[in-house]
Amino acid sequence: MNNHKEENFMTTTNNAAEVQPGSCPLSRRNFVKGLLAAGLVANLPCGLLRPLQSEAGEIVYGGDYETFRNACPRNCYDTCSIKTFVKDGVVQFIEGATESTFTRGGLCVKGYGYTRRPYSPDRIKYPMVQEGRGSGNWKRVSWNEAMERIAKKILEIQDKDGSLLGMALSKYSGNFGITNYGVEGMMSSLGYTTRLTGTPCWPAGIDAQNFDMGDMWCNDPEDMVNARYVILWGGNAAWNSVHSVKYVYEAQRRGAKIVVIDPLLTQQAAKADEYWQIRTSTDGALALGMARHILDAKLYDRDWVMANSIGFEEFADYLRGNITVEWAAKESGIPAANIIALAEEFATAKPATIWLGYGLQRHVNGGATVRAIDALVAMTGNVGKIGGGARYGHLRTWGFNYHALLQKQPEGAKGVPGKAEVKGDFHFAGGDDAAALSYSDRSLNINKTAQVILDTDDPPIRMLWVACKNPFSQDFDRNKMIKAFEKLEMVVTVDQFFNETVAMSDIVLPVTTLFEEWTINASYWHYWLSINERAIQPMYEAKSDIQIAATLSNTMNELRPGSCTFPTEIDSREWMIKEFNQGIYDLFGISSWEDLKNGPAKAKMHPASWHDLKFGTPSGKYEFKSELAEQWGNKALPEYVAPRKQNNKYRLLTPHTKFGLHSQFVNLDWSEEFYPEPFVYIHPDMAAEKDIKDGDVVRIFNSIGEVTTTAKLSTVVPADAILMYEAWFKNNPYNVQNVVDDTSSDMGAYKTGQPGVAIHDQFADVAKV
Amino acid sequence: MSTIEMPLVLFSVLSQTAIGLVVINSCRQWAADGPAKTDRGQWGIVLAFLITGMAASFFHLGHPLQAYTALKHLGKAWLSWELLGISVFLCLTLLGFFMVKGKNARLVTTLTALVGVLTLLFMGMTYAPPGYPAVNNVLPLVFFLITALLLGTGFSAWVAPSAAKPWLTRILTVTLIVGVIVYLIVPCIWLSGGTSMAQTGWTWFASPLYWGRVAVGLVLPLAVLWRIKDIPLWLPVLILLGELMGRAAFFRDTVHAAANIGGLQ
Amino acid sequence: MKKQYAFFIDAERCIGCFTCAMACKNQYHQPEKVIWRQVYPLDEEIYPYTERAFYSLACNHCENPTCLNVCPVKAYYKREDGVVVHEQEKCIGCGNCIRSCPYGAPRYNPEVKKAEKCSFCWQRIDAGLKPQCVQSCPVEALQIVDLATFDKPGAVQYPPGFPKYPKLNPSVRFVLPRLPKIIGREDI
Repeated sequence: MNNHKEENFMTTTNNAAEVQPGSCPLSRRNFVKGLLAAGLVANLPCGLLRPLQSEAGEIVYGGDYETFRNACPRNCYDTCSIKTFVKDGVVQFIEGATESTFTRGGLCVKGYGYTRRPYSPDRIKYPMVQEGRGSGNWKRVSWNEAMERIAKKILEIQDKDGSLLGMALSKYSGNFGITNYGVEGMMSSLGYTTRLTGTPCWPAGIDAQNFDMGDMWCNDPEDMVNARYVILWGGNAAWNSVHSVKYVYEAQRRGAKIVVIDPLLTQQAAKADEYWQIRTSTDGALALGMARHILDAKLYDRDWVMANSIGFEEFADYLRGNITVEWAAKESGIPAANIIALAEEFATAKPATIWLGYGLQRHVNGGATVRAIDALVAMTGNVGKIGGGARYGHLRTWGFNYHALLQKQPEGAKGVPGKAEVKGDFHFAGGDDAAALSYSDRSLNINKTAQVILDTDDPPIRMLWVACKNPFSQDFDRNKMIKAFEKLEMVVTVDQFFNETVAMSDIVLPVTTLFEEWTINASYWHYWLSINERAIQPMYEAKSDIQIAATLSNTMNELRPGSCTFPTEIDSREWMIKEFNQGIYDLFGISSWEDLKNGPAKAKMHPASWHDLKFGTPSGKYEFKSELAEQWGNKALPEYVAPRKQNNKYRLLTPHTKFGLHSQFVNLDWSEEFYPEPFVYIHPDMAAEKDIKDGDVVRIFNSIGEVTTTAKLSTVVPADAILMYEAWFKNNPYNVQNVVDDTSSDMGAYKTGQPGVAIHDQFADVAKV
Repeated sequence: MSTIEMPLVLFSVLSQTAIGLVVINSCRQWAADGPAKTDRGQWGIVLAFLITGMAASFFHLGHPLQAYTALKHLGKAWLSWELLGISVFLCLTLLGFFMVKGKNARLVTTLTALVGVLTLLFMGMTYAPPGYPAVNNVLPLVFFLITALLLGTGFSAWVAPSAAKPWLTRILTVTLIVGVIVYLIVPCIWLSGGTSMAQTGWTWFASPLYWGRVAVGLVLPLAVLWRIKDIPLWLPVLILLGELMGRAAFFRDTVHAAANIGGLQ
Repeated sequence: MKKQYAFFIDAERCIGCFTCAMACKNQYHQPEKVIWRQVYPLDEEIYPYTERAFYSLACNHCENPTCLNVCPVKAYYKREDGVVVHEQEKCIGCGNCIRSCPYGAPRYNPEVKKAEKCSFCWQRIDAGLKPQCVQSCPVEALQIVDLATFDKPGAVQYPPGFPKYPKLNPSVRFVLPRLPKIIGREDI
């Protein structure tokens, strides 16, 4: 593949000015005509209607495309670097950046849908207000009017309560662009507000890794090729991190054994050397069983443990007194002989690594599970080694300025008295501002959004701002959410499509896609950094999150000067530049952000986390015994915690589909071509018991609610579980949150501010309709 | 399930009717007593079917005005030969229509009939592509021959002299019997084939169009002939209805090879 | 052997992610149902777990392409490198190629009322680039090869689930998917 030819014909321009919305959507005829015009015709002798051999570089890539750099800002390990090809102000096609060895020229089924997304006919184009939530009675309004309605409500809350604690923010990972933290910044610039903090995603594991090692810090995923043994535990890389799979394959090619441990026979499991179908939520028991055997067989790395850890003797005593392989076999369903064999293989392979997935810890014992698996990696001396490590995630490449995030409250703003540290997995704010010491935001558990809206008082939550989130599709116990929303006086949602939360909002504001805004993107998995340039003018009247903040601030200050400190006019590009600092430049070995216009850059980091063995724990060592863990309500040792007690006939699992990222992508017409409808997957044995045939319409129900959909019989799901993929299909009421409750997981409060949620500890029954 | 392809149903059935009419006409002239008594009416009915059918075929094309370019690939494409054949057949039919009183009338009829039979062969090859395993063989030709004979005989009864009626009745009866046998046996044989072929068999057996064509287009006419021993005027209309249903089933209910990619073939 | 570009589908590596299918759509913006590249899941009869093994298929650029043979207006031609190109300007939308190809490669485009199919991204190939689908594959399960020099051990032309038409001689090669060793639960 010769990229240089491409570059000769490319011109890159910066769209600095913010001008009128974009042009008509692309039609394919024009595109094909363009291709033909670009080169074919020149080649053709009259009468001979086809070119047998075209000159290289003359067609398709001939001179007419502008290229831009973008990045996928979704909550995904891969955070792809994108190269965008624009002509006539329209995105013609995109590719993965070839400069990134991780992205390596390709995106995924979701990412390639971006070419369609800005031009999707059902995209929200203008600010709109809905007369009657859920009615579909939408009316277009101007930005001015929308902002006035919102501003007046905010001032009303301020006057009624004397604070803005009645205004709450629901935001999470719908967009991880660094400048999108301007939403939090906007909230701060209005006053002290209620923040739904915590994370539904990975909090238990983060706490666990913090208790064990003092931070969540994974090896460079690209170094997995050096592993001699890889366990993918409770994670489906083939669906959720497709770009990582090549490293697993390479390790395999070099002779590593690949083991997948998962309650479901996932796509990744099908590619393993060995797949273990474990009983859900017993992974901690299995890990402890393995640890017991490794201890007995004296296969642990005694030198490493002595030099780099504390509490191993107590851990060993615990194992000897409480854990046996036979017990682990009984708990997990995995035969004892296999547990023994794998434990020995894992302990003797140097280096060995475990990739802990996020589904693994979405249980009431998730944190304890991660601690137990961390212990396996540590006791075998695999922490701090290239090709080793307990891989979970990292935030080492996220050291930006957070200029958009860090805004000051207005003079005289009141909130919750006393300085409370607002925590979160992505909350980087330091903010030791003296003025902020007397008040703080009110933090409530994002994982219990419905419940906290219902319960909170003094003042109650009157208004909800939703951005980069879709509570009705993503938060738990949908029926409770409906009740909770009834309490809200105003709901404002910032989004691109009329999804379920928008449908239950009063005002929707159209937001930009990645091609229409300036931001920066880092990954919580790989070590690359991408710039995201504005490649096309924002379509229709879409604004980015920070532009919306500026617009709101303008209206707020018109109505009441000084009520919002957010700048009323911003240059988005400048705000992107403001996020960079010398630390980032040094880390990535670039002299300026402009270097990123030539492609993504990789952090100059040692590929092995904890390579210096200087852990971030109180003792500075790996803590098998963690007092910090104990302080936060857990056991000091990675002891076994029992799974959630079953409260209905079958376990219900609702993991991700490969076609979408939560409620994004699956609704696009391009996606509907390949993934038009949802199914529930049940084992043929269960189906036979219930007289359900392939293709029957069934209902899945429990005390929370019910879902009706079509059944597919499959042996990838065990006979005692029901499998449904979480996604939002356009014009389809299918929503797994109807049957998922908001039970907390055991950890998460320490590092992320709130406990996590046991998404996969749900139970339900199924019946033919 | 594919689409019914109504333009192709009409084109193939009606043009095959036209061919059948000429073939029967020609045979009658050779077999019958003395010089032929052909009149404009007999050519007229041929033209009526042929032109209607050809007009219908234009609706099948995405760009009917470029239909003439379809003659370009006589080197390899049976469809080009089909177009050539049907065009020459049309020209000869017109010739026959205008030369009906001339002394070469019988020769023209024979020539037209031969071109018609060749065109049937071209059609048989065209509608037997690899994409449809059940009919990627001689079956389309067999189906089309039956169509031509059934409808050619049936509609000849409208315009032929009454002396020819018994002869026509005999041919029609035999062809109907052959048709019943063929149309009942063929789907049965398909059932023991590969996946696409077997699915075609099951789809045909589950298709009201198929049973309609057997009942209305074959069995019922046989019963009528057995009782009356003559061809009443409405009988060819019934057979035509059956043929149209059968051709619709041929297009809609024959399973494409690509429908089973991913499963055992 | 003459140069013949072909798709090599490594179903052992393939994770059925549909990236290739969407990358093609991203390049050519085909209207609804006009799918150039489809990813077909293998039946349980072939791979015993549903939706866990796939063949990514587009046009096979056969040695003796039936689309080319049956097209009445000669809208298809085969290049020296084996790519079968459809010249849509000549097409009259007769549908013969669509009915003829047992692999379902040509599709009817109702917007332009003509047939169309995977072009092997011949413009990209001529510019020294890989087809969009091949470049996009995150695991290199879909590759472009030259059958004149291709010699991957264990590769087959007609794996189960793929229609066998030796007369057409499709230019594709496959490696079959494998099963892991499966340790099931003892408690159910």
